[in-house]
Amino acid sequence: MVSKKSRNIMDNCRFCWMCRHICPVGHYTGLERNTARARMLALSMVERGEDISMAIDNVYECMCCGACTKECVTGFDPVYAIMEVRKEAALAGKTPGYIGMLVDKVGKSGNVYGKKSVDKDLTKTIKSVSRKTDTLFLLGPDVIYKAPSLAVKAIELLKKSGTGFTVLEKEPNTGAALYFLLGEVGETREAAEKAATVLNNYEKIIIYEPFEAKVIIQQYRAWGIRLTAKICTFTAFLSELMKNKLLKPAKTKEKYTYQDASALARDLEETKPAENIIDSCGVYKPMLLHGKDTFSAGNLIMNEYMPDVMKGIASKRWENVPYTEADTMITSSTAEYLLLKQTAPKGKKVMALEELVLKSI
Amino acid sequence: MDQFLQDEILTELEDAVGRSNCSSREIDKLTHSVDYFWLSRMWADRGLKMPEADIVVSPKDAKETSKVLQIADYYRIPVTTWGGGGGTQGGALPVCNGIVLDTKRMNKIYDINTDSLYIECGTGAVYKDLEWAANERGYATMHYPSSLTCSTVGGFLAHRGIGVSSTKYGKIDDMALQMEVVLANGDIIYTSPTPKHAAGPDLNQIFIGSEGTLGVITKAQMRIYRQPEVRRFRGFLFHNMTDAICAGRELLQSFKPSVMRLYDEAETSSLIKKIVGVSKPGAFMNLAIEGDKKLADVECEIMLDIFARYHAEDLGSEYGEKWWKEKIAFFYPGNMMDIPQMFGTMDTIATYSNVEKIYWAMKKAIETNYPMAKFIAHFSHWYEWGCMMYDRFIVDNPPQDPHEALRLHNEIWTTGVRTAIANGGTINDHHGVGIKLGRMMKEEYGSAMQVFQGLKKELDPNGIMNPFKLGL
Repeated sequence: MVSKKSRNIMDNCRFCWMCRHICPVGHYTGLERNTARARMLALSMVERGEDISMAIDNVYECMCCGACTKECVTGFDPVYAIMEVRKEAALAGKTPGYIGMLVDKVGKSGNVYGKKSVDKDLTKTIKSVSRKTDTLFLLGPDVIYKAPSLAVKAIELLKKSGTGFTVLEKEPNTGAALYFLLGEVGETREAAEKAATVLNNYEKIIIYEPFEAKVIIQQYRAWGIRLTAKICTFTAFLSELMKNKLLKPAKTKEKYTYQDASALARDLEETKPAENIIDSCGVYKPMLLHGKDTFSAGNLIMNEYMPDVMKGIASKRWENVPYTEADTMITSSTAEYLLLKQTAPKGKKVMALEELVLKSI
Repeated sequence: MDQFLQDEILTELEDAVGRSNCSSREIDKLTHSVDYFWLSRMWADRGLKMPEADIVVSPKDAKETSKVLQIADYYRIPVTTWGGGGGTQGGALPVCNGIVLDTKRMNKIYDINTDSLYIECGTGAVYKDLEWAANERGYATMHYPSSLTCSTVGGFLAHRGIGVSSTKYGKIDDMALQMEVVLANGDIIYTSPTPKHAAGPDLNQIFIGSEGTLGVITKAQMRIYRQPEVRRFRGFLFHNMTDAICAGRELLQSFKPSVMRLYDEAETSSLIKKIVGVSKPGAFMNLAIEGDKKLADVECEIMLDIFARYHAEDLGSEYGEKWWKEKIAFFYPGNMMDIPQMFGTMDTIATYSNVEKIYWAMKKAIETNYPMAKFIAHFSHWYEWGCMMYDRFIVDNPPQDPHEALRLHNEIWTTGVRTAIANGGTINDHHGVGIKLGRMMKEEYGSAMQVFQGLKKELDPNGIMNPFKLGL
């Protein structure tokens, strides 16, 4: 069913346990099947003749955060195998129904939430920056539909820097959600190719959402989709604005800790910009497992079909905060912002990076 | 189990632990049927099904565990406790089907006591979680087995596990203070509040090493230690094993290094070339001394004096430092031995009077009777009275037929372990007994076996707790 590479991953991971400790899902649920080892054992048995129905739900219990891949000193990549299985299952019509429903929503509305109308304040804010410039600020459906107030703040912050930029009133579907759900199937590539024609009207693209950035920066290239624009993450752009003194936050003695988004810290190897931003505004106190070792605190797509587990994962992440002496956790992904906020213990706060910088300038 | 009865029991178990924590899904049964025991892996690799649980339950604490055991006891359903499933002896395999009781939801850290230096936690916590919690506060668990990131507190306690720094800090059985245990009848008991006392036989040592056959350990207080001020490594090449063992004994009878690993000539010949660039015969020893700097300075001097008298060549600290950083890298796929190879670690432990004799006897027994098997050994956990031997056999091309492979595997084990027992060793040092070595328990203990059997009869009269393990 899968490629030789994925089969090799399955056969090597199936009897190894060395990354058990690092899976955020398994760490919360305590379930044996929520480990890379168990997942690969099940898939290796599918390759040996068992029906995929035994394993496919478990394939969708993985956040694909890459912690297991990063942990493996001999370079095995369970996420690679999982993404291939998602694709093969889709091609064989074996994708679970609840995933199919999300795919349908993307098809109809461009996002997994099935939403079409945008918050009024955000609509008004976007209109104020919809004039064509050479820089596109791509928000992504997570922040647009799930945390529009953050999107407003992100736009307001960029306006304060005096940088010219455009936000589209109707953003293209970049294929990021489809990629997570189905892997590299035809629909994903089609969406990506269509999005590229829009993105290629700009010289520079700032991408708000880390996972979206990972897909555009890494997967588009892997799929042979050429982007002419210079691409950077919102975090890196903010850090650059501060370096160039276009944003001048006042540093206080307030302590902050930071939840590194796995797509930024591991996939894009970007940890310093956020640290620099936080250090410019206050005192940065890293949590246990930060940077490339970050413990993911949730995924909004998975929140659509396993919300209790996502909430549990986020609440478990708060256990690492007390020893930082910080009361505020800073985030750079909408998913983690919302889930950590939902589960914040008494006296603890969550702020997105843009909220922190706005507060400090 | 009949489907109707299984469904009835399932609803009772769901009532006890919650529906989402009870499963008879194929994937849960499969993933709890293959542990790190070579035979279970070989079986799965050949596409065969290992015995599976009928139901997998994940209780969150002792109360829920108690309810599960009461149900199992009433219906006479076997219960196999599963922590990480990282054991090599088949101890966590549900060979009689029934219920697998997965402990990993019992993973809470309840208390980190920096006055008395312990962490109280659910036994379903992966040990690395304790290490992280200790590190956050400037302490460490000093329990560093290769399975630190895979195995649970309960799993280590169940089979009397060990870590690389045990020579100074002890085995897992030295690291437990009070434990909470659930018996087969559902009673929740607590062992003594301290591990040292004169209040009768030690309950800790009855349950530690019992491999789920006498009860389920649900909570434990595990020791933590101050981080050492210094940790210094040194490597030495001895002319021969005898000198190395004698030097090691003399050292242990002066002070305790944290790490001491002596490799036999077979392992040394491949190692030493990587360290010094040339092949040299002999026995390589890697040590670490750690703790307060002043004490470490004195201990280093003592070590150098003793080893100089045995004409050991000083190879410096580079190997040891590199080894420490990469000490578990060996166990990742691609580095480690793996199927299709057949292999096993026939670790044993003996007094200094016997250990070298056992080494040569086992080497001869394996190499003579099984010329296709390679035998290598190192000595990695030391005491004032003796040390353990970590010996491995490796067969590169075992029989393809799984039944023949099983037969050969068990024959080699029986030969090796019987040789150890005959020369004053034990059936195992720190991996446990499980199903792999259960048949050898009577050979080791003889009539003393009745003590274990008596405990088993009293604590588990219906025989539901991990049947056919530990020779019980």
